[in-house]
Amino acid sequence: MNTTLQVTPTKIKLAGGNDTLTIHWSDGHTSSYPYRYLRDKCPCATCSEQALPRPTIPSPFPILGAKPLKPERAELVGRYALQIYWNDGHSSGIYSFDLLRSICPCLKCTARQATTPISD
Amino acid sequence: MSKTIGPQDVLNALKAVKDPDLQRDIVSLGFIKNLEVGSNRVSFTLQLTTPACPVKEQLAAAARQAVQALGVAGVDVRMTSQVTAPRAARTPLIPDVKNTVAVASGKGGVGKSTVAANLAVALTRAGARVGLMDTDVYGPSVPMLMGGDDQPTVVEGKIEPPLEYGVKLISMAYFLPKHEAIIWRGPMLHKTMQQFLSEVRWGELDYLIMDLPPGTGDIQLSLSQIVPLTGAVIVSTPQDLALMVASKAIAMFQKLKVPILGIVENMSYYLCPQCGHREEVFGHGGAREAANKLGFPFLGEIPLDVNVRIQSDGGRPVALDETTLYGKAFQEVAAALAAQISIANSQVDRDISIE
Repeated sequence: MNTTLQVTPTKIKLAGGNDTLTIHWSDGHTSSYPYRYLRDKCPCATCSEQALPRPTIPSPFPILGAKPLKPERAELVGRYALQIYWNDGHSSGIYSFDLLRSICPCLKCTARQATTPISD
Repeated sequence: MSKTIGPQDVLNALKAVKDPDLQRDIVSLGFIKNLEVGSNRVSFTLQLTTPACPVKEQLAAAARQAVQALGVAGVDVRMTSQVTAPRAARTPLIPDVKNTVAVASGKGGVGKSTVAANLAVALTRAGARVGLMDTDVYGPSVPMLMGGDDQPTVVEGKIEPPLEYGVKLISMAYFLPKHEAIIWRGPMLHKTMQQFLSEVRWGELDYLIMDLPPGTGDIQLSLSQIVPLTGAVIVSTPQDLALMVASKAIAMFQKLKVPILGIVENMSYYLCPQCGHREEVFGHGGAREAANKLGFPFLGEIPLDVNVRIQSDGGRPVALDETTLYGKAFQEVAAALAAQISIANSQVDRDISIE
């Protein structure tokens, strides 16, 4: 059977509230990604190569004049991914829907990831 | 007639006719248009989702019979079509192109370009508006397969594609002097694919057939990113080897969420024109088996024939003549493909909204 389509987003809200990007999925699930978390998961080649881990906890002392991170816009890539244009100028990350679903930070998804046995 | 028949009676009768591919009755599918009920005559338009619908004759006959069963003497059925598009998929690059179909193979030499060109011709002959984009930048073969000396021109800043046998064509071959080679890396290929789409005046098309290079590489990936492809057709010969490599192409499209519209078995068997003996030079039926096993539609078999090659080399696609075995085979595969596109489009249920 054609398993290509599976679960896809139906609605993507760049400003989902509380500095998160929200995705409503076709199976009824909703994912809320904090901007910093999503930006740190950028799958582009340059970000993947970075050896140094980036801070995931936002600094309590924002640098004067620094813009808070947020996505400016996003575009669909083919039928399988989302390209996010961040306001820090970075936009080379193409986030596949499969990747986005697998990094959903909600409790249910995180628990499922932790208990999924490693398949051989 | 013993009682007056009204439009609702006709519609109720027509509800008994089901489209076998879309699995719904033709009234709820919205196929019945311009219904007129006279004193002894009923007329309506039956609007299907593709002019190449493989069951159009059956649907028309069933519709006619359903209304005649009400006791109406004269039933007039006009056939038209309006090709559907995947709702999520209109792209700003080519907003007037309803469907983009990638024709792919695992390995080279399976006759993918011949199949792509002939499918384009067969769909055109069925009444669709078709374009053929040759994306094999390194080994472009479409202009030779389609013949003709027409060259692209530039009109008002856009490239006007040459037209052969009713199909609009674009190929790297038009932009390169013969015997010159392209030696490019990825980013150039990506740019060229974007240009083939945005800078060519394709106009309103029902189907844009994209002849891909063999395998899984930059161009396949670029196209899957630049446009939301309606789907992919996999061409393979019957041999196990061809299929093993074809499964890589299938896996690639699945990862990119491009629906597999179906598998075509090319060079399926050889029929001797002298004595009619049938020889299965590359085996037979392997592609159908694989399609069944993997759960993909099998679109059909194209036999191996020296005429396919002679005509192709001479720029006359065999699909032009449906009275030949090969012409008929392409006609059937094209109809099966059109049906699968209609089915795939009916399953995309909504746009992905970004706000």
